[in-house]
Amino acid sequence: MFHSYKMVTGAVAALLVAAGLSTGALGQSLELKIMAPAAPGGGWDQTARAMQAALTESGAVKSAQVVNVPGAGGTVGLAQFVNAKGDGSQLMVNGFVMVGAILTNKAPVTLAQTTPIARLTAENQAIVVPANSPIKNAKDLAEALKADPAKVTWAGGSAGGTDHIMVGLFAKAVGVDPTKINYVPFSGGGEALAAILGGKVTAGVSGYGEFEGQIKAGKLRLIGIAAEKPVPGLDAPTLKDQGIDLAIVNWRSVVAPPGLDEAQTKTLLAAIDKMVKSKQWQETLKAKNWDDAYLSGEAFATFLQNEQVRVAEVLQSIGLVK
Amino acid sequence: MLDSVFALAQGFSVALEPTKLLFALIGVFLGTAVGVLPGIGPALTVALLLPVTFKLDPTGSLIMFAGIYYGGMYGGSTTSILINTPGESASMITALEGNKMAKAGRGGPALATSAVGSFVAGLIATIGLALFAPWLVEIAIQFGPADYFALMIVAFVTVSATFGDSPLRGLTSLFIGLMLGLVGIDALSGQARLTFGVPELLDGVEVTTLAVGLFAVGEALFVASRMKHAPETIEPVRGSLWMTREDWKRSWKPWLRGTALGFPIGSLPAGGAEIPTFLSYTIEKRLTKHPEEFGKGAIEGVAGPEAANNASAAGTLMPLLTLGLPTSATAAILLAGFQQYGLNPGPLLFAERPDLVWGLIASLFIANAMLVILNLPLIGLWVRLLAIPQPWLYAGILVFAAMGTIAANPSPVELVMLAVFGLLGFVMRRYDYPIAPMVVGLILGPMAETQLRRALQISLGDPMALIESPLAATLLAIAALALVAPLLFRGLSRFKADED
Amino acid sequence: MTQQKEDRRIAPVGFVIAAGLLVLAAFVAKDAVGMGAVSSYAGIGPSAASWAVAAGLGLLAAGTLVSTLRGEVPTPEPSDRAAVLTIVAGIAAMIATISAGGGFIPAMALLFGLTARGFGRRALATDLGIGVVLGLIVYLGFTKLLALSLPQGPIERLF
Repeated sequence: MFHSYKMVTGAVAALLVAAGLSTGALGQSLELKIMAPAAPGGGWDQTARAMQAALTESGAVKSAQVVNVPGAGGTVGLAQFVNAKGDGSQLMVNGFVMVGAILTNKAPVTLAQTTPIARLTAENQAIVVPANSPIKNAKDLAEALKADPAKVTWAGGSAGGTDHIMVGLFAKAVGVDPTKINYVPFSGGGEALAAILGGKVTAGVSGYGEFEGQIKAGKLRLIGIAAEKPVPGLDAPTLKDQGIDLAIVNWRSVVAPPGLDEAQTKTLLAAIDKMVKSKQWQETLKAKNWDDAYLSGEAFATFLQNEQVRVAEVLQSIGLVK
Repeated sequence: MLDSVFALAQGFSVALEPTKLLFALIGVFLGTAVGVLPGIGPALTVALLLPVTFKLDPTGSLIMFAGIYYGGMYGGSTTSILINTPGESASMITALEGNKMAKAGRGGPALATSAVGSFVAGLIATIGLALFAPWLVEIAIQFGPADYFALMIVAFVTVSATFGDSPLRGLTSLFIGLMLGLVGIDALSGQARLTFGVPELLDGVEVTTLAVGLFAVGEALFVASRMKHAPETIEPVRGSLWMTREDWKRSWKPWLRGTALGFPIGSLPAGGAEIPTFLSYTIEKRLTKHPEEFGKGAIEGVAGPEAANNASAAGTLMPLLTLGLPTSATAAILLAGFQQYGLNPGPLLFAERPDLVWGLIASLFIANAMLVILNLPLIGLWVRLLAIPQPWLYAGILVFAAMGTIAANPSPVELVMLAVFGLLGFVMRRYDYPIAPMVVGLILGPMAETQLRRALQISLGDPMALIESPLAATLLAIAALALVAPLLFRGLSRFKADED
Repeated sequence: MTQQKEDRRIAPVGFVIAAGLLVLAAFVAKDAVGMGAVSSYAGIGPSAASWAVAAGLGLLAAGTLVSTLRGEVPTPEPSDRAAVLTIVAGIAAMIATISAGGGFIPAMALLFGLTARGFGRRALATDLGIGVVLGLIVYLGFTKLLALSLPQGPIERLF
């Protein structure tokens, strides 16, 4: 939900690491430019700045610089990025949200034009209801939705974003026409949560982390997380275990410009691999509560392709893309 | 509640150590120094300076952090008053009267009433936060889209206070603002409106770009255009540099009223800091004994909105600390900051880490006091800025206006918008159109539309939902009264005049 | 700026403003027509607000026309066109420099120098110099102390 802050939000911790950049970066001679296609603050910017610190401190590259190109769910940045054809010294942070934004904004460029490098992090998506709701589990929610989709109001992030797509997938999974969902988009971190807590909507969808405190305090009831398998160390039922075939994660990844030769791609893959395995990166993941979802090279390319197909289908079925 | 007082006392005992006071002072200084850069609002200020605090121990960093927060807030108002360049939308209203005062040699009192007003508001609001947070937040959550919509309507009605002498021209300005508010992706449907295929426009028009363009750039062009015919004279200081007895007398009530508006509205999850400043300005304009000064530099018009702005900032801490809800850009950064100290704002925070919460609240008190102590002596220095020869002063203002825009969004499209809004501001000044309603329209239009459609979507299109909540009904009634009352009064007074 | 009550002449500019508002209204209306009907439980879609704004602008155009004919639109006081154009040229030069990759510091120098000239200064070289210094200070402060990126050109890459 935080992506939608138009204003510059919290570059905070990322800037801390950026400010404390170590000078002793040896090893690779790569002088990297990392584009965060968003304003300083949000998730992509934080990822870019965390990468910047980890890449240089682990010695994976000689230097790294973060450039912010905000706008339109990252598509402004993407349009600029694909122009850097054959430039093996650039990376761009992106994520699940961009896949949808490209379609809803009718962007003239697509992620297929870029060279996939690696998926880095992921966040589990969760569905919650207010603590006093009669809905106790995913089955109840599915029944309510089947009974009258209009009466089940969902609060989540921006239209066409991860949360919206997830609700569309939920409807599909339980056999309800996805165009009939009553999804109410909210912008900004707290607004949706406030609406759920105040009982203004039936259910809420967002990253698990955003609900965690409220769930523990007993103000919200967790219906389920949309993970493929139960998450170790997390006392949270998955939707799959409750018989609803829905798995979706909010992932973030990096891609390189189009037209790289094999050597260039290999260099970047190696640098990212070294970064992911560094102590610095692992500590950042822990501090920021990001799940490690490292997947690189061919495997990531296939994953990215599948996600694009899936998102396009969902957006069409909920009527956001024609 | 007694527990709260005890815990707060303990917080103070830690925060009042000499080294901690020094940290507070450094924090306020840094916050003010970065916050005064135009285009850099409190959110960005806090984000940029937060890393500095991490080098200290948790208590020390928390205190410096509070100092930066208040310093950044105050710094934003300083640019509004001195160079007509609001750093954030909430200090736009301050520029209306504050800059007029500064140009008439009353910059000192304007800055002083802003600093003292911020202090008073911060003090009261922080006390409110300490004592009532858990209760108030329960009420705040009960606000639904219909209630917010009603609140926006009240704000809309009060906009007429910024219209100047012609309702036609005021409305024209407002509607152009509303039109600008349409630009971009519609929040509820994801449809693009008025974007003409320019991807940069999909995110809409940035409020600070419009405000800086209209206020700072527009003003520079206008002053230049009139230089040969009726040159503007800026006096850095006329009369007292400090607030006079009269200034105090005219300021204290607006401070309190501004606080009373800012704190509750700021604590609403979607209340924001702008609406209380609009409401405060209107109320002060209605209640003042010097209506003729409004639009020419009335001190009430600075005192009230500034207090409202600061009180609402303390208000946003309420949902943040008690629920972990970041309800503004600044709050989102504060949240990230807290997490770095191992504080996880939310329902369990007060129970789990009382030491840190009360330490933070005590720090807020101290930072607030430090702000006044540091900034009052600096006022003399600030107003000297106005003594810079006019060509350099305005050239500098334009450089800073452009810089703020580039820093927030380094795209030529944004700069072109700044230039277009600057020309618009010039044309509007030339033909005597008020500019504030346009910014108000841009801020309020999308908010009101979103809440209205959200309310209707939840009620499945039933318009009765808009008045079913008692609160919404009351607010709408207030709006109706505010709209009709002046007409009635005018009728009455005309009637009386006829009798005489 | 003051309204001259006695001087009730028709100011031609009123017609221009009325026409301008009408054009804006037409723009917004055309955009609203182009929006597909989005089915929503709210009963109103994204075009509703557009229609409301278009209608408002249309009414204001009519209002402006009437008020012009009644001589209520004040004739503006004379203005110094050259000064305004010089400053606009400064802003345009700044934007062009940044778009062309000339960098932050030269852009700010041009903006500063031309604005000062618009305000009657004749020493353009001095003012450009001041602009360079100002731009340099701002650039270094932003990039080195605050870690924010500003547009780079040949000069900025030296640091």
